[in-house]
Parts: sequence; structure tokens; C-alpha cells
Amino acid sequence: MTEIILFSLFALTAVTCALGVVFHKNPVHCALLLVAVLLSLAGLFIMLHAQFIAALQVIVYAGAIMVLFLFVLMLLNVRRHEDVLTPGAAKGFGFLFALIVFVELLWVALSPGGGEQGSVGAPAALPQEFGSPAAIGRILYTTWLYPFEITSILLLVAVVGAVLLARRKFVG
Amino acid sequence: MDLATIIEAVVKVLIVLGFVLMGVPLIVWMERKVLGHMQDRIGPERVGPFGLLQTIADGMKLFFKEDMLPAQADKVVFFLAPGLSIVTALVAATVVPWGDTVTLFGREIGLRITDVNIALLFLLGTTSMGVYGIVLGGWASNSKYPLLGGLRSSAQMISYELAQGISLVPIVMITGSLSLSQIGRAQESMWFVVPQFFAFVIFVICAVAETNRAPFDLAEAETELVAGFHTEFSSMKFALYFLSEYANMMVVAGVAITCFLGAWHGPGPIPGVLWFLIKLSLFLFFFIWLRATFPRLRYDQLMGFGWKVLLPASLLNMAVTAVVLVMKG
Repeated sequence: MTEIILFSLFALTAVTCALGVVFHKNPVHCALLLVAVLLSLAGLFIMLHAQFIAALQVIVYAGAIMVLFLFVLMLLNVRRHEDVLTPGAAKGFGFLFALIVFVELLWVALSPGGGEQGSVGAPAALPQEFGSPAAIGRILYTTWLYPFEITSILLLVAVVGAVLLARRKFVG
Repeated sequence: MDLATIIEAVVKVLIVLGFVLMGVPLIVWMERKVLGHMQDRIGPERVGPFGLLQTIADGMKLFFKEDMLPAQADKVVFFLAPGLSIVTALVAATVVPWGDTVTLFGREIGLRITDVNIALLFLLGTTSMGVYGIVLGGWASNSKYPLLGGLRSSAQMISYELAQGISLVPIVMITGSLSLSQIGRAQESMWFVVPQFFAFVIFVICAVAETNRAPFDLAEAETELVAGFHTEFSSMKFALYFLSEYANMMVVAGVAITCFLGAWHGPGPIPGVLWFLIKLSLFLFFFIWLRATFPRLRYDQLMGFGWKVLLPASLLNMAVTAVVLVMKG
């Protein structure tokens, strides 16, 4: 019972705020609503016994990345009622991708066995230390070592690229 | 969940909240007194014995001040921001242990509100949410000084959060736990400040920067930004910002004590809780001492120091600790 109440609370908050992100006029309010979405997702992660992922969600996404978003919005001073995505093509692509993701999710939910995996709460038999930092660390550095390292190289490339782009103005 | 558990939880929450909220006027008084004497003045002395009631009087005064709302300010966010600040500060206080377990009425009671197994991450998470209170306060005021103050502090807090988090990693590697009470227990024979002195220094510097205290109080540099992010806040909204700054000081001091200075352990027959309180007061005194001693840094110096000195130093310290731990087996 508690599980259903908590799930509805987090899920409803997430969906409501996500709608707010899309439909609100003020960009800063949109960013704040996105923070609320990320926080309620963290709550859902905790309900799935993934405390570590939940903590990372709060620290990295809600804490660091969204603060940077806000930072940029404030520096650029994007005004209210201003259409941020002016090019029509960008809008079209946005709708297209949203549609694809929606169909995908629908397909997973309706496919046989999908309902079971997507049901509220965790499967009956979970290992004792499921979702703990130690368990996730072990898996990352054994089974998924190559994808993990490749991701880190990808991020490094992005950082170096960003620095290069930012400095070009002053050097060249 | 039986009745006793609920009573225990309520009592502990009341103790911690009461301690933090009652502690703030005392710290403010201490700050004014200590600063006064360090600057060859007397400090507050008129209200109450030794001026002890000065902060209470100031609080009353703030309570009766007019609550101003700047023109064109974002009403909702302006209202929300100080609340976010104080809530994150108080939530962070829930995981700081102030003693080991005691047995009372036949029940084993852990001296902390909650002992989550990822307490350290929980703490980093709440402090990173605390940035919002300041950034949004600065933005919602619709005024240039607060906006600049808010932007500065957000950049500052993100930068120093990194080094602060990484300086705590060696402690986690040594104890093999993210739980603050486990970390506290592991320091019975030796405080972690001895093997991890560099991490301690890095953590303390970052802690000062995270709480926006001098010499890192760029967010509210009076000489250039009037009062920074809280320029437009008056009455209780200002008081909430004030309260959360000092509550954050207490939390950060509590974390430093738990992770490096032996938590509630100490020599002699003094009970652990008392040791914790003694260390807390000394640490807060240290904060004030810093403020009286150092001039404020320039903004670019501050960012350069965080990214070019503290972050590499903390990464190096982590790597060295890892190598040593592996060699020890």
C-alpha cells in the first residue's frame, strides 16, 4: 500500500512537472520544473532499491547539470514569452523523436512480459547488496569495463572539444 | 513500526532541529564577540549578560521588519529561494552523527536522526541542492547585484563541491563505507586527520568556500556587490538566509569532525556527545578566526585556485591513497 502511494506521488509529480517543463513560458521556471522531475525520478530509483543511482541522480543531474543550465539561462537572460526554439525544422525533429520514443515505450509496455517487468516495486528475489555502491562499482569494472572506459574517453573528448571551441576566439 | 520507534524518531528530530536553530544565535553572538576582540573592540555587550541576548533581539527586530518585494521580481521563486536554502541545510543535518549508540529504557538508540548507508552521498546531494537557494534568490530579485552574486556563488559552489567530494573519497576507501556512523566508528584508535592530512586541508578550504564564508565570500562582497544575492531580501526572508548560512557551517563542521577529527571519540572519561560538542565549538571558532585573519580573494583567483590547485591536489591524494591501500593489501 505504501509502495503504491509513494509511487503515485513520485510518478504524478514527475509527469506533471514534465508537462510544465514543456508548456511553461518562462525558461527559468522550466528549468526548475525539470529539477523537480529529476528529483521525483530519484525517488522512484530509491523505490527500485537503487539508492546509489538515486544519489547520483541528485548530485549530478539535479545538483550540477541543472545549475549549469540555470547559469546559462541567467547569463543569456532569455526573456519570458520568447520562443527559444525558433527554427521550424528543430521543432519538427523534436516532435519526430518524441513520437519515436513514445512508440518504443508503448511497444515495450504492450509486448508480452513487458507488463511484468514494468510493474511497481522490485522483483521478488534481489541479491542482498543490489544497488549498493560496491555492487555497481564491481559490475562497472568487470562486466562493463569496456563500455565504461569508452564512455569516459567520449566525455574527455567532449571536454577537450569544448575548451578548444571556447578558446579559439582569443587565440586565433 | 511501533510507538517507541516513532517517539524515538520524533525526539531525535526535535533535538537536532532545536540544537541547530538554537545554536545559530549562539554562533552569531560568538562570531561578533570573537571578531570584536580580534579587532580590538568589545563587541555586543548591552543586551543581556555579555551581550548574549543581542542576536535574539536582532531576530525579533527582523521579525517585525517590513517584508519587501522588489518591483518585477519573480514572486514565486523569490518566496521559494530562502526556504530552499534553510530546508537543504536542515535536511543535511539529519545524517550527521553526534555520538555512538546509547541504551536508554532498554532500547538501543543511535545518536543520529538516520543512519542511511549512503550518508556521505546524501550529504553531497543536499549541499548541491543548497546552491539553488542562492542562485534563485539572486535571479528572482530582478536586480543586478543579486544576480551577479548568485551567478558567482553558483560557479564557486560547483567548482569547490568537486574537490570537496573527491577529498572525502580516501576516507571512503579506508573505511569501505559511505555511512557516517561507520566512518566515525573506524576512528576509535586513530583520527583520519593523521593519515589523510592533505585531504583534511582540502576539505576545510572547500568547506569554507561552500558555506560562502570569508575569505571566499565573493557572493556577498560588500565592496562590489552591496550584499550579493540577498541584497533585496528583508525581514524573515533575510533571516532565513542568515540562518541557513550558519546552519550550513554547523553541518560542514560536523562532517569535518566525523570524517577527519575522530567523530565523537576523544581521550578521557568525557562522554562522546560532549566531545563532539567541544570539537564543534572549536571548529566554529576556527571559521570565525579565518574570517578575521584573511582578506577576501579576487574572483578569478578563487576560481583558478579551485580548479588548478585544489582539484588536482585532491585527485592526486586519492590516487596515492589508492596505491598505498593496494600495496598494503
